[in-house]
Amino acid sequence: MVIETTIILRLTAAFTTMYLVALGHSIFEKSGILNLAIDGVFFLSTGVTTAVVVPLTWLLTARGLSLVLSTTLAALTAGLATAIIGIFMAWTLTKLPISHGAVGLSLMFLGYGLGIIAGYEVRLRVGSIRPYTYPDSLGIYLAILAITVLIGLLTYFFIFKTALGTAIRACGENPHVALALGASVLKTRLIAGLLGFFIMGVGASFFVLLWQKYWDIKTYLLGYGWLAFTIALAAGRHPIVLIPLAFMFGGLVEFSITLQARLGLQADLAKMLPFIAALILMIIYGSTKLRRIFEPPGSLGKVFYKEERTI
Amino acid sequence: MRFIVLRRKTIPRYHTWISTAISLILGILVYLFITILVGRSPLEVLVNIARSFISPSIVKDFFVLIAMGCALLISFKAALWNIGGEGQFYIATIPGILLTLFIFNPRHNPAPAPLVILLVALTGTIMGAFWAFIAALFRAYLKIDEVPVTLILNYVAYYILNYLIFGPFKGRYVYGYLRTDEIPEIYRLNVRVHLPMRGDPLQVALQNLTVQLAYYIALLVLAVLIYVFTWWFFKHCRIGLYTKIHGSNPSYLQAVGVSVNHIILLTMTISGALIGLTGSIYLLSELGRIPYEIERQTAGYGYLAILVSWLSLLDLKMIPFSAYIVSALRNAGIALQVAGLGGVEQSLLLIGAILLTYSITRFLVEYEVRFEW
Amino acid sequence: MSSKVLSTSANISSAESVENVILSARNISKSFPGPVIALDRVSLDLYAGEILALLGENGSGKSTFVKILYGIYTPDHGEILMKTGRILERVTINSPADAMSKGILMVSQVPQLISKLTVAENMALTLTSLRIHGVKSLTSIKKILKIISEESEKIGIKIDPNEKVYNLTYTQKQLVEILRAMIVNAKILLLDEALTYLPLLERRKLYQALLKLKEQGGSIVIITHKISEAMEISNRIAVLRAGKIVGVVNTWETTIDQVRVMMFGEERSKQISYVKVQTINPRGEPRIIIRNLHVEDDYGREIVRGVNLTIHAGEVVGIAGISGNGQRELLESIVGLRKIKSGDIYVDNVNVKRSGVKNIRELGVSFIPDRLLEHGISPEESIVENIAACTVRNGINIPWGLIEEISRELINSYQIIAPSTKTPVKYLSGGNILKTIVAREIENAKKALIACNPTRTLDEVSAIYVRRRIREKAVNENLAVLIASEDLDEVLMVSDIIYVMNTGRLYGPLTPEAPCEDIEKLMVM
Repeated sequence: MVIETTIILRLTAAFTTMYLVALGHSIFEKSGILNLAIDGVFFLSTGVTTAVVVPLTWLLTARGLSLVLSTTLAALTAGLATAIIGIFMAWTLTKLPISHGAVGLSLMFLGYGLGIIAGYEVRLRVGSIRPYTYPDSLGIYLAILAITVLIGLLTYFFIFKTALGTAIRACGENPHVALALGASVLKTRLIAGLLGFFIMGVGASFFVLLWQKYWDIKTYLLGYGWLAFTIALAAGRHPIVLIPLAFMFGGLVEFSITLQARLGLQADLAKMLPFIAALILMIIYGSTKLRRIFEPPGSLGKVFYKEERTI
Repeated sequence: MRFIVLRRKTIPRYHTWISTAISLILGILVYLFITILVGRSPLEVLVNIARSFISPSIVKDFFVLIAMGCALLISFKAALWNIGGEGQFYIATIPGILLTLFIFNPRHNPAPAPLVILLVALTGTIMGAFWAFIAALFRAYLKIDEVPVTLILNYVAYYILNYLIFGPFKGRYVYGYLRTDEIPEIYRLNVRVHLPMRGDPLQVALQNLTVQLAYYIALLVLAVLIYVFTWWFFKHCRIGLYTKIHGSNPSYLQAVGVSVNHIILLTMTISGALIGLTGSIYLLSELGRIPYEIERQTAGYGYLAILVSWLSLLDLKMIPFSAYIVSALRNAGIALQVAGLGGVEQSLLLIGAILLTYSITRFLVEYEVRFEW
Repeated sequence: MSSKVLSTSANISSAESVENVILSARNISKSFPGPVIALDRVSLDLYAGEILALLGENGSGKSTFVKILYGIYTPDHGEILMKTGRILERVTINSPADAMSKGILMVSQVPQLISKLTVAENMALTLTSLRIHGVKSLTSIKKILKIISEESEKIGIKIDPNEKVYNLTYTQKQLVEILRAMIVNAKILLLDEALTYLPLLERRKLYQALLKLKEQGGSIVIITHKISEAMEISNRIAVLRAGKIVGVVNTWETTIDQVRVMMFGEERSKQISYVKVQTINPRGEPRIIIRNLHVEDDYGREIVRGVNLTIHAGEVVGIAGISGNGQRELLESIVGLRKIKSGDIYVDNVNVKRSGVKNIRELGVSFIPDRLLEHGISPEESIVENIAACTVRNGINIPWGLIEEISRELINSYQIIAPSTKTPVKYLSGGNILKTIVAREIENAKKALIACNPTRTLDEVSAIYVRRRIREKAVNENLAVLIASEDLDEVLMVSDIIYVMNTGRLYGPLTPEAPCEDIEKLMVM
């Protein structure tokens, strides 16, 4: 029975991480900004989490407060840290006529660099980060799972059923027209950036706190941010459709680790699996009707210059 | 206060140069700021950066980055963001290892060295081209952004290489290390010059430079060849013109009857081929063998070349200039070992900081900012 | 021109005129990259309860002016004043939301609605921005749907608010925009060629709504390049030429000829003759034959529904019709830019239905596209490079010397204003970009020319040159020409045979001598 519980815990953690990162990314891209910073932001969040959770746990447990509180606070802090990047991206890419791809990629590298600097010393000091993560308790995991799914449902209602959510979609489809209709493209995208990157950051912090319980400066080499990117793409950035896909991919990453351990599959081949799966998912998405159903926002990645001249 | 961005009516002369300089300085400032935060003295950092600009040890990076910068320029001009330089670079070393250590290993099957070297270059070019071609297929026929695909393919290339080094390519004369054997001397492309290294500091530096230039002569030839090819491609070649138009307005290509998909495939493949060529020459003139877990030991040329290409403002004339700056900065970063880090980890921050300030300030070339109260 | 008719706002500063002014623009200037100054110290007053026509050629600065009033463009100089209480106060209009909150609303020629969203969702953006009926960021779309239903009932414009915008016709979309103006209770309505392309009958229906707004003390600015439209309903006409206000007259005090002189200047107005360019025209062999053609639009709906058409060598066939009735898709499919669902197209007896653009162009077919910036030009590249891309089809190296020569010829004969042949096209003015495309395609045509709105942004003198060149090419070089134009006058002027396109079908043939009303009826039925 112990093994089964472990599997449930790990699958839950994998799903939660993948889902929240893909969800936050989707909210942001719905507003029309191409987010190529995703992998760097993923890693930055894990670095910040590591840097924050250790001292915070010392501080709080010394006062008799529980570990769950400090880990949760660390996750929220990581969310806030990445939200700053989201706001920065939303502002620069709406206010200035510059390339989304260039800014996103730069932030990816910067995110790697900053994440390394953030977590490096703490990691050296404590050796293993495991004691500072969520305890292996089914109750806690299921509670986090429930909250995650609830956030997903709320996001769905927010995006599709409210005026502000509609404004986000409108800015993604055509910011010039959204502006002419009276929306503030800047404000709308700032909100999408704040909300999206906060959720993304919290999700990525669960990689350290809930899923792997491990952090190393070389973690940036994992590329899990790109897996989340692929999921969001194939699910058309739809909060509900994301659920099964995030579950599948979270499971696959877990499965590849198990394969390696149990069947003696060479580690590098096991690590490759999720990426091959991502490419296959892209092929399925790109070559079938899915592409039409889950079309990306019409102005995704297009430079927004308010005074654009037309003939 | 209001902040308004307006397109310039005329572009002042030297403006692109000024804007590049501003972004560089800002990028270095951001980098300085972060290093100060982790407790380094700014003076030390600056001295290190300044020193690396005149260090002869940057010639290798300089040549490789000119070659790779040009290769990426070709795809970037088409607005195809080939971020897969790393993968194309390393996947291209596979046939090189196979040819020099297995098929034509001098111990049991010697072959004329020039022929083998040519074969290595040719097969490396094909491998690099093929790796980029895969991403081009995704972009052209599945309409999937090439950035995630090329990045994912970087990972796949690393892992394939690792798998091979762990298994079939595992070396026998490696003193317990997990890596391939050393490529036999007859296939290496280095020219060793022995100079006394005496005299005043300038003379020593010049002698040092000569030794370096001779040692990396193959990379020098490669950089010149690729540079000339790129010049011809954009200046005279019909495909080069289509490539540029693809970057500006692909619908126009379609309307004049040029297949957009073919241009995507061609451009990416040419870009990947040049990177593959660079990878195989680099294998023969620098690497010599490949260690296990290559992703942890890469110099990150595939990523640094993005910086080179972007800093040039996609202008071929500026490529050597930006390759020089980037090589110097990379060497400074390694010398500094901020927070005890070396290698790529250190470069990441620098790449990020400069790319960011660059991509943001770049808009000032064509736009002006007006403040209103 | 007597000084009586001319009166710019500079001399309307007496107390009695200020009384009724609700908006005053003073010394507004704006320029864009390229050689043209879009607006040069424009001053204009707008009175309560009037309909002002702002008249000018394409490129005279009309759109720029209203986009400044609507907060899309920022002026380089000048100020805007608005009536608050009894005094005029200086205002800055930073965004459309800002403009709307001051009671200004703009409706453009291209409906500014997001196709993928429903009518209610589109309206939600406006309602939230102005907090109309207490709509806030988190108000549900359901509630907004209800508000729109009630309001449209009250105002009397029938639109299903739950309908996706891409399912609406052009007229319906413009109705949604008018409805939006009513709901936000606009005091100043800017119609930027919004009604120009609606047929007369539809236009007249909308005039009723405008008159109601006017009676309530609102002001309407009708921006147009058509003198007849300006004369139809306005009280006052202000004329812009090359970015300057050249005159403001009361409509009942003026004549079409007077206005034309203001619009084009004494000299040029004489060059403009609306007489059809006559040519002797023996009909040649059938060059392009289209049989039972069906084509889908970008959203996968059938937009060309069974078109049959034959174009003979040496003749010009014109297609009249309101935009969005399938003209663009028809033309795009003839040149191979758009997939054909069913049917056949023959060029010189070759079935080109699956040939692709490359082969069709190599047969000698030229194309002036509807979406100019998309299919007509590559903005970052120079004039020579754009021409090379279109003309050089073989070989590895480009013969630059030859292309340079061709470019210079085109620049001279079409009077394209450009610093050099190496200037990136994006630095040219809109009119010169179009001239570059039109010149290249017309002079390049060997067998046929397929053109969509070939003179859309040209000044009248250039437009007439282009139309004359097209006819000359047709007659002298035995070219088959197909022109679709939103401008009925243009179709009448240039064609030998006229068809009308309506909801994907062709009606006709008619001769250019057919009564205008008959053609208009076909356009709207």
